[in-house]
Amino acid sequence: MSDEQNSDDAVVIERTFDTPVATIWDMWTRPEHFRAWYGPTGATVPVAEMDVRVGGARRISMEMQTPNGPMTMWFVGEYRVVDPTDRLVYTESMADETGRVLSPAETGMPDGHPEVTEVIVELADLDGRTRMVMTHRGVPADSGGAMGWNMALDKLAAHLADLD
Amino acid sequence: MPAVIDDPLSAAFAALAHPVRRSMLERLSVGEATVNELAAPFEMSLPAVSRHIKVLERAGLVTQGQRAQYRPCAIDATPLREVSTWAERYRPIWEGRFDRLATYIDELDDAAGAMDDTENFTDDITDQKDHT
Repeated sequence: MSDEQNSDDAVVIERTFDTPVATIWDMWTRPEHFRAWYGPTGATVPVAEMDVRVGGARRISMEMQTPNGPMTMWFVGEYRVVDPTDRLVYTESMADETGRVLSPAETGMPDGHPEVTEVIVELADLDGRTRMVMTHRGVPADSGGAMGWNMALDKLAAHLADLD
Repeated sequence: MPAVIDDPLSAAFAALAHPVRRSMLERLSVGEATVNELAAPFEMSLPAVSRHIKVLERAGLVTQGQRAQYRPCAIDATPLREVSTWAERYRPIWEGRFDRLATYIDELDDAAGAMDDTENFTDDITDQKDHT
């Protein structure tokens, strides 16, 4: 296992599994499998709707226990590339329970967190084993102007003011 | 009393903590501008505007060109990126997921010894549309 170098706006992780490529593909594309591993420790994935075809929608919920009681987060996106057992690309945004995409400021995510991110899964068959390269990329929020940055910067400034 | 800010991240934070300077960055995010152009929206003396630009410059957020009398200012997003290296926050999350994925596959393999892959969920899903 080796981690590739990561650019400023992407995290790249490479792993090799002693498992056939078809199984790893199922782990990403079949909800009953995806739910089993995707949620963080101590959390569950109550909803995993995955229409795995190009343009198909995905809707994931994640429920975790917090000191203030259970908290549910929603993620929506769409599949961009579905090339069975080779390559899977989908987008992901934080949303509310109706599927409305939330801005980073609304979600309290870190300053500068992109609104839309893209997950790229590339699989290679190594004679019954599988090499998986996962790239999680932030799609720049400022493509439509400085809006995203301004919100992030305002929030940052407010945070700094609190520290004073 | 003013503290000496020597690490880049603190310098960037401090520079961003003023509405005039954020507004200047917003202007510069759409293209270069001269000091006069940056000053235009504000009722502020030119020396005051220059001081704000100096703060941005020291934080590495703005560079000023060398071209004769115009010396246009330009934004440099590098410190902003440092402020928001969101990607690195995701690394431990994904590492944890893939650890669980490996464990989960092992469990499936163990279970598969007793039973073939007979999973078929398609029939269980009934698409209920309630028209009332």
